[in-house]
Amino acid sequence: MITRRELLAGAPLIASAAQAGQPKIAAICTTYFKFSHSQHIVDRFLIGYGWNGTHHKPPFDLVSIFVDQVGSTDLSRGREKEYPSMKSYPTIADALTLGTGKLAVDGVLLIGEHGKYERNEKRQTKYPRYEFFKEIVKVFADSGRAVPVFNDKHLSWNWDWAKEMYDTSLKMKFPLMAGSSLPVTWRTPSVEMPVNAKVGEAVCVAYGGVDSYDFHALETLQCMEERRKGGETGVKWVQAYRGENFWKAMKDGVWSRELMDAALCRSHTLKPSRPGFNNDFPTDDSMRRLVRQPVAYVYEHNDGLKSTMLLLSGLVEDFNFACHIDGRKDPFSTQMYLPMPPGRTTLANFFSPLTNNIEKLFLNKKSPYPLERTLLTTGLTAAGVESLHQSEKRLDTPHLSKIVYPAPVDSTFWRS
Amino acid sequence: MPKRVAIIATIYRYLSHAQHMGDRFLIGYPLHGKWHKGDMEVVSLYVDQKPEGDQSQERAKEFGFKVYPTIAEALRCGGEKLAVDAVLLIGEHGNYPRNDLGQVLYPRYEFFKQCVEVFEKDGRSVPVYNDKHLSYSFEKAKWMVDQSKKLGFPMLAGSSLPVTWRLPDLELPLGCEIEDALMVGVGGSDPMDYHALEAMQCMVERRKGGESGVKSVQLIDGDAVWEDKRWSRPLLVAALSRSDSPLGLTVEDARTQDLLGSGQLQKIVKKPAAYFIERNDGLRTTLLMLDGAVRDYNFAARIKGKGIASTQFFLSPTPNVTYSACLVSKIEELFVTGKAPYPVERTLIVSGALESCLQSRKQGGKKLDTPHLAVKYQGVKTPQHARE
Repeated sequence: MITRRELLAGAPLIASAAQAGQPKIAAICTTYFKFSHSQHIVDRFLIGYGWNGTHHKPPFDLVSIFVDQVGSTDLSRGREKEYPSMKSYPTIADALTLGTGKLAVDGVLLIGEHGKYERNEKRQTKYPRYEFFKEIVKVFADSGRAVPVFNDKHLSWNWDWAKEMYDTSLKMKFPLMAGSSLPVTWRTPSVEMPVNAKVGEAVCVAYGGVDSYDFHALETLQCMEERRKGGETGVKWVQAYRGENFWKAMKDGVWSRELMDAALCRSHTLKPSRPGFNNDFPTDDSMRRLVRQPVAYVYEHNDGLKSTMLLLSGLVEDFNFACHIDGRKDPFSTQMYLPMPPGRTTLANFFSPLTNNIEKLFLNKKSPYPLERTLLTTGLTAAGVESLHQSEKRLDTPHLSKIVYPAPVDSTFWRS
Repeated sequence: MPKRVAIIATIYRYLSHAQHMGDRFLIGYPLHGKWHKGDMEVVSLYVDQKPEGDQSQERAKEFGFKVYPTIAEALRCGGEKLAVDAVLLIGEHGNYPRNDLGQVLYPRYEFFKQCVEVFEKDGRSVPVYNDKHLSYSFEKAKWMVDQSKKLGFPMLAGSSLPVTWRLPDLELPLGCEIEDALMVGVGGSDPMDYHALEAMQCMVERRKGGESGVKSVQLIDGDAVWEDKRWSRPLLVAALSRSDSPLGLTVEDARTQDLLGSGQLQKIVKKPAAYFIERNDGLRTTLLMLDGAVRDYNFAARIKGKGIASTQFFLSPTPNVTYSACLVSKIEELFVTGKAPYPVERTLIVSGALESCLQSRKQGGKKLDTPHLAVKYQGVKTPQHARE
């Protein structure tokens, strides 16, 4: 017996996509293996995902995919067979034109995360987001038409390239959305930064590596801070601390210990510091013992707001935010919760609210939240890495000083 | 003056309930973004069993209290009269036999009875928290609740599921009209079905008129579950849509799944079980125990005029199990205010419904009328789960 799926597998691609009559999406990916960002996002477009109490299938046809590195663990080819409305193409241009020579899709997913790419002397992974982006906009220019683009994570490891991506989207007038899933995932508690709050100082306690999870932690901070009174005013300077300098800075009160402790008290993954105890609060000595390579990025915004991002691998495995708000006695704090596989879950469901916001980008042709957020966090990530590279020197950031924007009033995090 | 607390436990070993709850009274716990140390002092401990890894003496030494050989002595701190302000009764974990219904015979009733004897003899009673269900036997559970009424001491019991974080932060409006409710649970009986039933109960007790009591129960298992028309397909889709841990193909390649729609559910759940619980006001509720489908606890209900509401009861990761901090904050409230933050009848009705469901299973899935479960009570207005 021939199943409908097998029947479709043999049908011409364009015809099957056209039959559905839904907007067409191209996915441009570095790689596609289990737990890679491409797998999380593209699968949600192909298969659907749990949303608002149902299995939601995005109203799009993901018609084409380009995968830069197809290794032995690749899943894209299998998915192509299983979901025949999606076809793989050998070049980015082909994926965007569906081989017609002209832009033939209505939206682009640019997922340049994971895969084997070189690292530079600063230990930044040279993911080819900018290079992919250039190829995408070339098709736009050649076709005289541009469509919305979602760029996963930060724009580029290279600030100048990131800025060029931002400028290009403005110049060519297409909506560009970017960033992490941290701003949009569940929060425990499920709270939003009050709009126009007078924020005194903010801290994010997170984990992971430099030029990796630092970006997620910076997005965690920024999605909250941008809602403060006056909106984002730009960042004046950045200074990184690590190792002994980190512990000294903590002792000297370079960042608020009250906020750091509040953020730690939102963690669901505090490493027990004493054998036989499952959930104790660490002393300074046990923190030093547990956290072998602490990293902090401390930075000041133009309106005087001080922010600190702390990577405390060994002590926590989650992202926790705390800040002072005028008029509140206690810190305002929450956790941006990531149901993280494979230890805790089987699905990385924080990609569900991210995918849902990408759907809004494609449907409304407008990013649900400002690209300037991710432009700033891209620059902050690079500046933090640079400060580490320059022996933890405080670096002025005139290029980040100009990133001024108001936050949208509406909340975009996952809460229903 | 700090409240003087006695801990009465089956065992005190790493990651046992007594350890992760008892320790929070000793070293504090995270609450509302602070490390909270309640104004409470553990003054005595009784442990029934001291298996390998026992921590009772170690804790007593470090925190300056004594381990007593009997419950009465622990409550009197070795003196003549009741010498504590509250009792934390944790009869979970330890080596106890099972009965023919498959229930572990944890001696909660027996421990509680000894507490009550001290209260009666000494002419004074103090608040008691009983961890998890009251007893494997409804008759015994009922006796426990009756004693608290008779002697006039506040009592709280139950699981951490009702009070943990919810994803999303859903609370049903008090007095809403619930048309149908379904809970998906996993794990062995009788510990895990109990947790799932209590999670469902804390939601459905908020319906118009409050809890009216359980009229009948029926537990069926095997393929008959798939064919049964009493449980709602849309509610199962809604509950499963809240899961972060679908199994089967997701384990293989991390794909998302519409488990029911794709037909995978029936393939990956080898031994489904349905617990049908019919209420006196006509509401029908179902617990589906779907081992092999997911690893988390999810709920869905159809609310008149509002459609389907659904959520996941978030069991935060081991070893912190911060959900037990949520529960300890409720126990602390009981001990400090002398008032149970939510009714012990919730746990009473769940204890009885579970026992009757297991009897139904033993009788080959026979529907059983349960006139003894006419437990009526009202839910409380203020949400009690973690949300601040």
